[in-house]
Amino acid sequence: MSSFIQFNQVSRWFESSSVRFEALKNIDLHIEQGEHVAIIGKSGSGKSTLLNMLTGIDHPSRGTVQINFTDVHTLNESRLAKWRGENIGIVFQFFQLIPTLSIRGNLLLAMDFVGSIPSNARNDRAEALLAQVGILQHADKLPAALSGGEQQRAAIARALANDPPILVADEPTGNLDSKTTEDIQRLFADLVGNGKTVIVVTHETVLNTEYDRIIALKDGAVAADTSRNSPQ
Amino acid sequence: MNIKLLKVIGDLRINPGRIILVIFALIIGLWGVGSILVSYTILGRDLNENFIRTIPPHAAITSRDFNKLDLAALRKHPEIEKVEFRDFATLRIQTHQDEWIPLWLFGVEDFNNLDLARIFDQNSNSRPIVPKDEDMLIERDGLRFSELKAGSPARVRAGGRVIDVPVAGISFDPAQAPGTQDHLIYAYVNKKTYTEITGEPSNQRLIIRFNNVKTTQEVQAAADGLVNYFKSFGITVDTIKIPKFMEHPHQWQLNTLLFLEGSIGFLAFFLGAVLVSQLIAAILARQIRQIGILKAIGASRSQVFQIYLTMVLVLGAISGVIAVPLAVKSGYAYAYFVANILNFEVLTASLPHHMYLYLIAASLLLPVLLSLPAILKGTRISVREALSEYGIQQASVVKKSRIIAKLSLPRNLVLAFENTMRRKKRLAVTVAAMALGVAIFNTGFNVQQSLKDLLSDVNNSMKHDVQVVLINQMPKEEALKYFSGIDNISRIETWNGGRGAMQNMIVSTDSGVGIVALPYNTDLIGFRSIKGRWLSGPSDPEIVMNQEAAKMYDNPAIGNSQLLSIRGKQYKAKLVGIADEFEKPKIYMAQEQYDAVANPEHYINSLMFVAKDKSYDKVLALKKNIEKAIAPSGLQVLYVIMQAERVKIIYDHLKIILVTIVFFALLVLIVSAVGMASATSINIMERTREIGVLRAIGATPAIIYNLFVAEGMIVSAVSILLGLLLSWPLSIFASKFFGNLMLEVELRSSFSKSGFVITLIATLVFGWLASRIPARKAIKVSTREALSYE
Repeated sequence: MSSFIQFNQVSRWFESSSVRFEALKNIDLHIEQGEHVAIIGKSGSGKSTLLNMLTGIDHPSRGTVQINFTDVHTLNESRLAKWRGENIGIVFQFFQLIPTLSIRGNLLLAMDFVGSIPSNARNDRAEALLAQVGILQHADKLPAALSGGEQQRAAIARALANDPPILVADEPTGNLDSKTTEDIQRLFADLVGNGKTVIVVTHETVLNTEYDRIIALKDGAVAADTSRNSPQ
Repeated sequence: MNIKLLKVIGDLRINPGRIILVIFALIIGLWGVGSILVSYTILGRDLNENFIRTIPPHAAITSRDFNKLDLAALRKHPEIEKVEFRDFATLRIQTHQDEWIPLWLFGVEDFNNLDLARIFDQNSNSRPIVPKDEDMLIERDGLRFSELKAGSPARVRAGGRVIDVPVAGISFDPAQAPGTQDHLIYAYVNKKTYTEITGEPSNQRLIIRFNNVKTTQEVQAAADGLVNYFKSFGITVDTIKIPKFMEHPHQWQLNTLLFLEGSIGFLAFFLGAVLVSQLIAAILARQIRQIGILKAIGASRSQVFQIYLTMVLVLGAISGVIAVPLAVKSGYAYAYFVANILNFEVLTASLPHHMYLYLIAASLLLPVLLSLPAILKGTRISVREALSEYGIQQASVVKKSRIIAKLSLPRNLVLAFENTMRRKKRLAVTVAAMALGVAIFNTGFNVQQSLKDLLSDVNNSMKHDVQVVLINQMPKEEALKYFSGIDNISRIETWNGGRGAMQNMIVSTDSGVGIVALPYNTDLIGFRSIKGRWLSGPSDPEIVMNQEAAKMYDNPAIGNSQLLSIRGKQYKAKLVGIADEFEKPKIYMAQEQYDAVANPEHYINSLMFVAKDKSYDKVLALKKNIEKAIAPSGLQVLYVIMQAERVKIIYDHLKIILVTIVFFALLVLIVSAVGMASATSINIMERTREIGVLRAIGATPAIIYNLFVAEGMIVSAVSILLGLLLSWPLSIFASKFFGNLMLEVELRSSFSKSGFVITLIATLVFGWLASRIPARKAIKVSTREALSYE
């Protein structure tokens, strides 16, 4: 039986002049729907490359990536954009909100691109999501007017705008204080509780009490794959 | 409001300075191209429209036998569309105290029924007022350089008589060459007054329009047929004059101006296009990471494309709203300026609707077309590439220039050289645009110099100071006796020649050749010889042609014998030389030879005065004294003209073109300088992070400022060098081209020293400003801002 997210013998290498750098080496990975997964590793371990494979931002040099029954690596750029909008919500380390649009505008733009939410329901959905992440009062402010934590909450709300089943976060708390980090992690846990698959990529040390599963990468390969119930 | 449009507006507000620069560049480009389009449309049709609405005749035929003509019967002739009598005489009129210039007097058959060669009232609205007997109308252009005015008498010299003719009103005749340029006055009288003033009978000149003619050749054939028709009634035709078919006499000037407008406008547009595309590329370069984000949150390439397309359309619309009305206004202003100089009316009261459509389309589509490559490139970028974009990379500097490495230059300058070479494509476009601007600017001056050299040649080719041309030839002693007591005369040389009736036209559009009989060894001629030599003696049957005559006779070979017809006599002479003279076609021969063939009485018809004191004021005083001497003499004078005036007449024909050339060339230079400023500005923007690094390692604002100014000046120096080199062949081509277009002569290519200095200074100043403004901006960015720039 196939998993919700399935990496089969995925390798990714980059070539420059005579040097070939292998960022990922024969990764086999299966993640089930509703799992809360942390992918950890040091700088250069292959975390970002793996995240790029997950989100369709990059394609494997060898191997296949299947997510929710779609062979992601076979999609062209325009189909990939639509697929990504419908299936994956991405949260970036530096929030990457559109600075010239209000928080509400950022959410509406994401819905506008994908078009899966009826246009007359978009504003209500935006407000509901902002209420869910606790920043509805800032809906009409520009991102620069918000604190780092609030911006990250806004980024999470935007990632959820099109109700994707998967949320991928790249160092989501890397720039935040410990209190805000806790709040964000609680938010992710709530999303998992609501049936979302949440994958967090981080270089920080994480506790296995926070995640269902922790996948450690080292030199482009899976060094450890531990579940909450596995022995420490 | 649509969320994508909101984003576009938000993006446009991020960097108002840059957006204003783009809008400014677009406005300049659209304004320039729009003005040219508008004035081109107006001028292209209005001069011709002015000319056509006079119902110009196809031919003018003179005969002393027209009293035998049944005009009513002729009008029924199937080949005749319209025909009427319009007598014509060349007299002289006083414009200021002791200043007389040629007067072209037209005897109108019926002012109430002007069916042909129509004239209008001063404001061109309706028919002119009908002058009473003894009154005349003056053409409005003549008022600009004379003291003549309606209601006052004008002093007219006809033969030996001076008559006061009241000016009843001012008329407008758009079919004539502007009097200001040809230095003559047009006047219109009825037949009775014509006879009274000239002493000649009326009804001796017919003006005719033929049916079904489309070329000069067809007019010629029809005129020949008419001559035969007249013969059958015993009417002998004296002259037939066929002007250029349906073309205003100064259409050539307008053609030159329109060509100048078109070509320079195109170049300005091209340079503006480079500028706009660079600026939009710079804006997009700053949006690359955001494009990555947009794609990451679900935007397809076409959706991203739409956002940036909308951005460009918004820029185009804003620019269009400002530029289109400006273009219409300035296009009209330029059209009025040219119409004023060429003495015609702007008839296009409102532009055709399609012109507005073109302007609006140009406003919206041009920016799209110009930015399309940048938008396509920007939207094509993958999410991964977009998210890892951090502006210009250090890796782009792959190797040091060997030449730079060998030179022991200050470290800052070496860095400036290396930085200049980092974006080679952009550098090439910037240098090419700036070099083109420099080349055109300098070429403008060189062409101007070529024209000035031509005027100088004209001035030097004839060494006399004042020329008096008589209507009829007469004994030399009789002519000279009136001028014996005048001050400041060194000597008077007397010449003769044929076809004197044509000699009052300095710049003639007529064909035909003038015969000039002069002392073979005269020192009043200083032509540059194009081929062969000057006349060798009084007894040899030799002729020298000027280049226009040579052109007319299809460049006959030097040394060959030519058969001339002079006053009905045949004369065979050897062509010994072709002289460089900017004049109507002329053939020079020794006076003795001319007299032997056609002038046994040794009469003369030209007096060439040489002044002792050649200063302008003294020569002008001499001319006035000559006029004073002529007044009571009874001499029938065709004209009295100073050599300086002769040069001025030519200059007045070229002045508008000279001014326009330099004005347009300056426009091109400014556009290219703005382009360079934008390129420098983009370079600085892309290296904001690098500025931060430089600051962090100890570079002072002065060091950074000097670095960017040095980079700008390197680009300027290379552009100036290339531009000046390019201007050399361009000047040779342009001098030939404009010479042929304007004057039907190939101008010698000249080098303008002052133009060179102005070009050098102007481009260095522009280059310095173009570097200084963005460099000052660069040092205002704080180290923290610069380092956090993404």
